[in-house]
Amino acid sequence: MPRIELTHITKKFGKFVAVDDLNMVIDDRSFVTLLGPSGCGKTTTLRMIAGLETPTEGTITINDKVVFSSEDGIDVPPDKRDVGFLFQNYALWPHMTVYKNIAFGLENLKWPKDKIKERVEELLTMLKISEFSHRYPSELSGGQQQRVAIARTLATGPKVLFMDEPLSNLDAKLRMEMRSELKRLHRETDSTFVYVTHDQLEAMTLSSMVCLMKNGYMQQYAPPLEVYRKPANTFTADFVGSPNINLVDGTVRSTNPVVLQLSGNVSLRFAPTTVVEVAAGQAITLGIRPEHIAIADETEAMAQAEIVSSLPSGMETIIALDMDGKRLHSVVFGDVDFEVGKQVALSFAHGQFNLFDKESGTNLGQGTLSKA
Amino acid sequence: MSAKSKLNQVKAFFRKPHNIILVVLLVVLGYLTLVPLVTIIFDTISVHSSEVRFVKKPAGSLTLYHWTKMFASGVTSQKTFYEPFVNTMVVAFLSCVLAILIGGFFAWTVTRTNIRAKAFISTVFVFPYIMPAWTLAMAWLNFFRNSRIGGAPGLFTVFTGIETPNWFAYGLFPIVVVQGLHYAPFAYILIGGILRNMDANLEEAAMLLHANRWQIMQKVTIPIVRPALLSTFLLVFSSTMSAFAVPAFLGSPVRFQVLTTQMFRTLNGMNPGYGYIMALVMIVIGVGILMLNQWITGRRKSYTTITGKSSNISLFNLRKARTPLTVLLVGILLMIAILPLVSFAIESFIMAPGDYSLSNFTTEFWIGQGRADIANSEPGILRNPSIWLGLSNSLKLSVIISLIAGTVGMLSGYAIAKRRGSKLSTWVNNLTFFPYLMPSMAFGAIFLSMFAVRRGFIPALYGSFWLLVIVGAVKYLPFASRSGINAMLQLSGEIEEAGTIMGVGWLKRMTHIIFPIQKTTFISGYLLPFISCMRELSLFILLVSPSTRILTTLLFQYNEKGWNQYANAINLMIVVIVVGFNLLINKLTGASIDKGIGNN
Repeated sequence: MPRIELTHITKKFGKFVAVDDLNMVIDDRSFVTLLGPSGCGKTTTLRMIAGLETPTEGTITINDKVVFSSEDGIDVPPDKRDVGFLFQNYALWPHMTVYKNIAFGLENLKWPKDKIKERVEELLTMLKISEFSHRYPSELSGGQQQRVAIARTLATGPKVLFMDEPLSNLDAKLRMEMRSELKRLHRETDSTFVYVTHDQLEAMTLSSMVCLMKNGYMQQYAPPLEVYRKPANTFTADFVGSPNINLVDGTVRSTNPVVLQLSGNVSLRFAPTTVVEVAAGQAITLGIRPEHIAIADETEAMAQAEIVSSLPSGMETIIALDMDGKRLHSVVFGDVDFEVGKQVALSFAHGQFNLFDKESGTNLGQGTLSKA
Repeated sequence: MSAKSKLNQVKAFFRKPHNIILVVLLVVLGYLTLVPLVTIIFDTISVHSSEVRFVKKPAGSLTLYHWTKMFASGVTSQKTFYEPFVNTMVVAFLSCVLAILIGGFFAWTVTRTNIRAKAFISTVFVFPYIMPAWTLAMAWLNFFRNSRIGGAPGLFTVFTGIETPNWFAYGLFPIVVVQGLHYAPFAYILIGGILRNMDANLEEAAMLLHANRWQIMQKVTIPIVRPALLSTFLLVFSSTMSAFAVPAFLGSPVRFQVLTTQMFRTLNGMNPGYGYIMALVMIVIGVGILMLNQWITGRRKSYTTITGKSSNISLFNLRKARTPLTVLLVGILLMIAILPLVSFAIESFIMAPGDYSLSNFTTEFWIGQGRADIANSEPGILRNPSIWLGLSNSLKLSVIISLIAGTVGMLSGYAIAKRRGSKLSTWVNNLTFFPYLMPSMAFGAIFLSMFAVRRGFIPALYGSFWLLVIVGAVKYLPFASRSGINAMLQLSGEIEEAGTIMGVGWLKRMTHIIFPIQKTTFISGYLLPFISCMRELSLFILLVSPSTRILTTLLFQYNEKGWNQYANAINLMIVVIVVGFNLLINKLTGASIDKGIGNN
């Protein structure tokens, strides 16, 4: 079964290093997203696995078969790798009807006519586009084109499917719809999906594994909720989650027990739940997820803050707070609103908090917070 | 609506500079392109002074004589019209196919394979198009003329001893080859642009779906570029159809006539009426081509293809063929772009044609005083007052035309893009493009017909320098307006609006905001008319008088007289000026001729 393995993959364009020494294993039937800001090398990685781009160095195996090796000079062409590719702009052939577009791959595989017809109709039904089969791509809406592109990619039944930001050209509502559609397809087709996106929400909601990249380096490769709970560094902590995580700089005042000095007035006791090694006086960054900041009674107060803005959306309210000159975001669930300018007490009693080294940004460990 | 509010509306309309530009252009271009069409129709049915003798009617009276002679008079029609017409179509079609095959092959090789020396190939391949059309024709004669017709044999015969047959040296075959080579760069630029802009994902998608190279080419690439390819074909066809110089050089020795050469003969001779009919026929074909082109590019399947987003194209690996193919292409380029120049230089230094021994070399034709025994004591071209006059006329004309066409083109591009979608803008857009489809010689003919007499406040312009300026400016306006429109469409309207809101005046917005941003494209809009004008023959040949003659018409005269060395020397001079100027502007501003054409 197709398991994809990348070892020491490097890609240079001239002097520019797009991907640097990437090692990664994509398990069979998983749904992996390559996530990162634009220019981080995620599309290049995808194109290298598909065979559309030639790596400068390294080895790629698909299903234990080496498809690329810089050492042995192996480079299997894309059509021999048995993969499907969904392009960002769909790349539908404008001179072929929807039917022809979908049938193209099957014709190349020399399927008999009636079999092709059967398969295309199956796909048209599956993606709910039967009524468009004789139209040209330019006569379809973005969402419909997207479905045709998916049908065309699925037609030959590839065991691995690559998708390059397939939803980025759709409007918000369609995107939502296509997300659940993709998840359904993943289950139904029983194949491996590798998905490129810069939208953390897409990565979180869709995938079984997230590969976070920055400047050609892999930052973290883990299931989405693990990335959310235990980000490997401040970059990944900041990249996933909306509103963003609060990264509060401070110093370690003492080590036994660990007390963090976040500002003149705020110091918190940090009780590690994992192994945490810190030294007194060390500069740190504390990661606080917005949902872990609670507006509390004076009795439970761990810090004081002023409400700067309140953005109620019905289901939840996002509030911006000023804590001794530090800007924090908090999410309060329920249809509540807050008075701007009011002083409130904050509590960090619930949730796990990640501690990062300020200089390197790496995760030092997790713990709970209480009043110092 | 009250009269006052109407007046206010009109005022508001004309307060916007782009509306003023559009209205002025509509009136001026309408007068300069549509009115002449009417006068030329009138010219086909009236008796001209030179025709009185055989039409047997007073000059100026109406007659159907020309039409019947032309189309329904047996052998006469056969000789004067049908035969040249068929020749024209055959020549145009074959040279167009050749141009597209060569240009398309080079374009594909440069954009889609890993061939070496891409920059060199790109630059040098455009040379034959920048050089005057007859350059290759003259080179062909220098190499292949035979002693049966051409007097002294060419280089090829001298060195190999093989006498070239007539079909090889003159007539259809060399005309097709030479025109095909001349217009190949044009096809190269257009097709190269298409391939460069074509989304590589379309090909990659096919490759992933198990199509092989050949299938991708046949089922995806070619069908997708086909509409653009057809439109390239039509543009090249309309150019080859209206070419004059090449058939004149290579066809006349064996009486191979095409419409343009016939037109030149009749308009300059006794039967201008015939010539005007031929001009009209060519205009009708030209307009027909434009309509066909718009129909092709407007169809259901053809759009949304060229997205302009060309991601990293995976280049076709030529592997072992890489170096040999590079050498082959560079070799071909040297042969068609550099070798002709060498042959001109050699020919211009040779005393008795056909004798290439060292003792026969002379500088007589460059700096000689003029000798009584050769060419009626014509002095060498560097001390020949009529050449200097021609050179200064050529330069003056080209500079003025490029300034007018470039500026008007830029303004029209600005105004058309601003009012895009409105009727007025569409009209002006078509009017600025219209001259492109008029065969040069026919265009010259209609201006001849129109301005031979006084028209309102415009005096009779025949023989004046300004007639050349007007005809050139209108004819080359399409080049400049195309680059103007392209430049403006790439620029979001907000950039100018930001200036408007801050109270920056229109002139300052143009000179300080818009022009600097799109400098290179606009400069291409000036460069193209200059170069085209420097090497133009057929547009001006009917209109020049002895005092307004220019280099190209001089060259044509010398060639007709058989003064080969002079013709070669002048040609070398024109080529050096044109190519040098192109390279200079290219270096200084980054603008280049291929940018101007490649963008449309």
